[in-house]
Amino acid sequence: MHNRRHWLWNTGTGIGGLALSSLLQADRRRAHAGSTERPQHSDFMTGQIQAQRVIEIFCPGGLSHVDTWDYKPQLIESDGKEFDPELGKQTFAGVAGKLAKSFWTFRQHGEAGRWMSDLFPNLAKHVDDLAFIHSMQSKSALHGPAMFMMNSGFPRPGFPAMGAWISYGLGSENENLPTYVVLPDPRGLPPGGVLNWGAGFLPAMHQGTVIEVASQGPPIRDLYPADQRPLPLEEPSRALLRLLNERHRAERPDATMLDARIAAFEMAARLQLSAPDAISWNQESAATQGRYAVEDPDAGPFGRQCLLARRLVERGVRFVQIFCGAENTSKLKVRPNWDSHEDIVRDHGYWGRVLDIGASALLADLKERGLLDSTLVICTTEFGRQPFMQGQQKGRDHNPGAFTAWMAGGGIRGGTAHGESDPVGFQAVEPTYCYDLHATALHLLGIDHEKLTFYHNGIQRRLTDVHGHVLHSILK
Amino acid sequence: MVFAPKARCYVLSILSLAYGITASAQDGTLDFERDIRTIFEEHCVACHGAEQAEAGVRLDGKRFAEHLGPALWKPGDPDQSPLFQRVTSTDPEFRMPPDSSGLDAVAIDRLKKWIAEGAMWPNSDKESEPADPRYDHWAWQPLRPVAIPSVPKQEALEQDHSDWATNPIDAFIMDSLVRNGLRPSPPALRREWLRRLSIDLTGLPPSYEEMERFVASQEPDAYEREVERLLASPDYGERWAQDWLDVAHYADTHGFERDQKRDHAWRYRDYVVRSFDSDKPYDQFLKEQIAGDAYWPDRSEAIIATGFLAAGPWDFVGQAETPSPQIKRQARADDLDDMLAQVMTATCGITIHCARCHNHKLDPITQREYYQMWAFFSGSYRGDRDADPAQAVALEKERNRIRDEQAAIRAQLQNWSRQLSLADMVGGGDGNGTGKKGTGIHILTGIPQVEFLGQIQSPGGSSFQPVDHPFIDGVVIPNGECQIATTGLKAQGIPKTSGLSWDAIRNGPVNAQKSTQIGSVDFQGPEHAVLGLHANAAITWDLDAVRPALESQELLFRCEIGYGGRPEGTVTYADARILLDGQSAFLAEGLNPASQRIAVALPIPARVRFLTLLSTEGTDGIGHDQIFFGDPTLSPWASERNEQERRAIESLQQRLSELQQQLDALPGVDQVYAIRSQTPATIHVLHRGSPEQVGAPVEPAALRCLVDCPPVKIDSETSDAQRRRALADWITSPSNPLPARVIVNRLWQHHFGTGIVDTPSDFGLGGGKPSHPELLDWLAGELIRCNYSLKTISRLICTSQAYRQSSRHTSRDGMAVDAQNRWIWRQSLRRLDAETIRDSVLFIAGTLQRTKFGPGYQDFDYQEEYAPIYRYRTADRPDLWRRSLYRFVVRTTPHPFLTPLDCPDPANLTPRRNVTTTAIQSLATWNHEWILQQARYMAERIQKEHSRDAWVQAAYQDAFCREPTPEERVASEALLGSDQGLADLCRVLVNSNEFLTID
Repeated sequence: MHNRRHWLWNTGTGIGGLALSSLLQADRRRAHAGSTERPQHSDFMTGQIQAQRVIEIFCPGGLSHVDTWDYKPQLIESDGKEFDPELGKQTFAGVAGKLAKSFWTFRQHGEAGRWMSDLFPNLAKHVDDLAFIHSMQSKSALHGPAMFMMNSGFPRPGFPAMGAWISYGLGSENENLPTYVVLPDPRGLPPGGVLNWGAGFLPAMHQGTVIEVASQGPPIRDLYPADQRPLPLEEPSRALLRLLNERHRAERPDATMLDARIAAFEMAARLQLSAPDAISWNQESAATQGRYAVEDPDAGPFGRQCLLARRLVERGVRFVQIFCGAENTSKLKVRPNWDSHEDIVRDHGYWGRVLDIGASALLADLKERGLLDSTLVICTTEFGRQPFMQGQQKGRDHNPGAFTAWMAGGGIRGGTAHGESDPVGFQAVEPTYCYDLHATALHLLGIDHEKLTFYHNGIQRRLTDVHGHVLHSILK
Repeated sequence: MVFAPKARCYVLSILSLAYGITASAQDGTLDFERDIRTIFEEHCVACHGAEQAEAGVRLDGKRFAEHLGPALWKPGDPDQSPLFQRVTSTDPEFRMPPDSSGLDAVAIDRLKKWIAEGAMWPNSDKESEPADPRYDHWAWQPLRPVAIPSVPKQEALEQDHSDWATNPIDAFIMDSLVRNGLRPSPPALRREWLRRLSIDLTGLPPSYEEMERFVASQEPDAYEREVERLLASPDYGERWAQDWLDVAHYADTHGFERDQKRDHAWRYRDYVVRSFDSDKPYDQFLKEQIAGDAYWPDRSEAIIATGFLAAGPWDFVGQAETPSPQIKRQARADDLDDMLAQVMTATCGITIHCARCHNHKLDPITQREYYQMWAFFSGSYRGDRDADPAQAVALEKERNRIRDEQAAIRAQLQNWSRQLSLADMVGGGDGNGTGKKGTGIHILTGIPQVEFLGQIQSPGGSSFQPVDHPFIDGVVIPNGECQIATTGLKAQGIPKTSGLSWDAIRNGPVNAQKSTQIGSVDFQGPEHAVLGLHANAAITWDLDAVRPALESQELLFRCEIGYGGRPEGTVTYADARILLDGQSAFLAEGLNPASQRIAVALPIPARVRFLTLLSTEGTDGIGHDQIFFGDPTLSPWASERNEQERRAIESLQQRLSELQQQLDALPGVDQVYAIRSQTPATIHVLHRGSPEQVGAPVEPAALRCLVDCPPVKIDSETSDAQRRRALADWITSPSNPLPARVIVNRLWQHHFGTGIVDTPSDFGLGGGKPSHPELLDWLAGELIRCNYSLKTISRLICTSQAYRQSSRHTSRDGMAVDAQNRWIWRQSLRRLDAETIRDSVLFIAGTLQRTKFGPGYQDFDYQEEYAPIYRYRTADRPDLWRRSLYRFVVRTTPHPFLTPLDCPDPANLTPRRNVTTTAIQSLATWNHEWILQQARYMAERIQKEHSRDAWVQAAYQDAFCREPTPEERVASEALLGSDQGLADLCRVLVNSNEFLTID
């Protein structure tokens, strides 16, 4: 059955049969080059599956760990003191101001007594479900490269996102919906744009499919004819196309690629029916809609994305990525993402409330429906922010040296933490990288991150490059 | 178990070391073999020996150590010896060996003594260093003459294959088929063959007329004629250029977060088209692209060709925007890696980039060699440059002629009239050049300001501050009606502002001012002056103080007003005003980069006391709302002169203005986004690829795995272009077998769907093995014999029987033995690539625009932002219906129609397109607005050209180059019932597998 599902969504060029010549047997792994065959599950599956699917909340712009999840008593003491100006020159903006304590008070929460700042009053109630990684580090202080790194493991464009790798490895649970769905912030795309969910050198079928709820157009690009003709009028055209293709196919005995093309076409027709149902969040009860604050002018858009994510994973979508923030633009009253260079109270204040409402609703909802145990929820950003002010400004500069991500749900031991940053939150102590987070996510999905590979230009590529350690300390 | 004996050896050697101490302590002399080589072997050669050679360092033989020289040690000076620094370092990241304890004190002492005594390494190495078997890899071996196999006698075959006896390609293919127990397929139908050929060679299907002519042709050489016709077609270069641009990951924007446009990249794309069209010898094609500026510095074409090296992505934020040197180093490292990887994979199929962080895991390429190859590009930077040296020289000559005459006239005018520079006064001077350039006046305190400032806020919304200067009355932050002079005079008609200002009012550009240019004149240049006045700011002169200095009551104020903000695509602007006693005498609103030249000559009557120059914001006062006054002067008004003087001055000024117009009218030199040379930087081995872990310096050198290639003879003094020339010489050397093999394999892939080597940019040990190694070498040899003519190789392939085979044919043997068709027992069914689908739709719709060359068509709306936004629009205008090759390729924003069809991401080098089949793809070709539009255009054309009863026939002829079958005709007629029936039929045809695939 599994193969049939792949067939419908992801059928490749259909290279049937096995070649017996030694030439062709030489390197089975390399056979993926240029073709779109599926990898062999036995090559990389561990047999230990703790999560069936993933929802990742990505907070672009750089979420400040020292104001949110990473409690730094030493920073309170050092508040107002000078920071090393030489080190400050190496930062993105090139100038360090004075050390500054969190702009929100930290308190202990839950049975585990983990610290969280007052920016997240609702998420704080879920603290016993969350496992923090406080030692995250990035290799770039620039939004674009750091976004790419967090999504694909490489600070350069052109590499497949984690969702694309998972699509490549596992395929879909629902033949009528895409495997990897992306829900961008309705305010716009994140830094780096659509390449963040690109398939890189993997076959294009594995790239994230954007579902747009806010726009006037169809939720999936080209889902309906651009002239908006009623779908029943399409039937005569479809019938003729079927006739042409079947006649053409009959004259070409081994051409399985043609079967795949015919199947993909039928699949497209079914998607026209299944996609609208999946995204109809207004079918939800008033209570559910209220919990996600769908009508709130600020928190509503993200709340809707979170609600939609739940509906999608319920229907078997493998990987849903929600962006909580967009690209930087000038001339807005509030920054359109977390990139709080000039006024952290204003910008983190705004985005903190947005994240708090949507993410807490999502966790509660998943739990009530019994989905949290089999759904891995990840919340991350591309880098953190500095423990000092940016020059004379009221904001903080980029800090690739340390940031915090958290995970919850399938296979995660809540109320725990891995790693730490130094006493003021400037650098991670024994850094953890996206490789480790990715390795852990794949591990929970039953994938050995070192074995899920794809040949490209001389290298057997993988999501975690040559790195990656599963973070067992936060696993059940 | 396996390790046990080794462990014992280890213990023994420790003991012998201990013994060694006593020995050397006793007699005080070192024995290299006993005291030094044992250290190397025990602690170093596991990583720095024949097997790994980390960072290119080997300590297992004298010649390797000598090769590295001072990168290892400085004889006589342990402290200056990198090896000694490494073993004694306290930094665990830096210290060698990298295990926890490091060397013991005894070993360190001994190394110190040995280096201090001259680091003598006796000639005692065993000569029998085992040869690295990886050097025997087929791809590094020289091209050798290959005998063409004889085709088996006909009686040995089941059917007549006598046609297979003439073309050498067929001999090789038949030979391998027979040896594998296979038989070739019968030839394709003429209709199938011509469509295959036409799309392969031009990227467009044949017209129905061309098809009928060929099918009906009785000429014995009908096939050859078609091959010749299409090889000579003007569409040929446009088809093949796409393959090469994929390999070069060409795009028209930078990529990364701030994905700005490269407005001049297209000249390189056109160069590639022209090169294929003219069948430029392939070795010359490579030389031009790698080092055209060194081989032929006077030839425009050769300079444009270096756009190849610049074709890949470039990170504006990391390279230019951030002040952080660490981030810049990383960005430049990525840049060099990209250039090197592109050149080596494209030309030689060597995956050199795999040796960036460590030695190549599969190929015999060390990390040190990787960095030695970086050194070929260490002076090469991407950027716009003059594309045509001759044009540049001619224009410069003309410009100088005009400027010389202008200077002469200005000198003459200087003699005629006294004038005072207001910019000079702002710099603290008296108007005669005694002020300081760059100095300004603080807008709130009125005192001289040298350092640059940022945002200035007026506490009260507006402000006035007197200035201590003989001629200047005061400075202002204007906001609505406000005071502008010490007398309390108020300005009239000034708009409300934010009350924010920026920096100071300066004798020169203000902080972060982007431009001091008006027309062709840069006012920061000699003989000119800039008065920088960022919004919101104003400055007032007391003319009653100036008049005695000019000995005149009536004055003339002259200047040019320019916009100093971002020069391109800006969204900000500013207003400029000139006030006389607070009344507006001149207003220029909404100044922006596109504003025309504004020259002001304002007579000032004797009654006016205050002259005010004033700038107000277009947006927020701190964006780029900056203007400046070029050459602001006060002089006596000419009415006080005598008639003769005035006429002479007027005539000179007339001439000056004419010259200025001539200067402004001169065109700029054609630009191309290519390579700008700088002095090459010294390249070091970077430990683990990190620019922060700098190792030994290296000089440019080529790879050793190509043993027959002559070494590259350049050194650290060689200039950028000459370094690349040396590399190009090495790559195109007759002793280098790879470029010819790699390119004929790319041609083969183009015509058969899969190359003889199925990894066309990886001929290393990790790449595919050639299915027909002799054929590959024969083709490579043939390419060289025919003076590197690519068309000759294509001609050979296209006229072969192997190419002519049917793709529909099947055989049980074929499917059982070789389902992937690597032995080519038939042709392969292929899907059209993204660009060919789009071009073919335009072609059959009759809308394709055949304009060749020039800037790309932009089927998007562009929005200037910190990170520019590209929003695709449906290509609904004829100027957007050019061939897809001429698309302005936006790196970060994949194309909504082409990307689902596997048009690759230009962040990647793409030697071979993926071919996927997805529902999303079907949705694009079925529902996209562009397809519906083109189907409508096709229907309209058919309706115009044909009578109603011929519509269905015409649509099939255009789309499939054939007549509809009776069944198809009936089914299609049924669709024509509705108004848009014919358009619906056209849409079905272009979505059919018959249209989207080639047999």
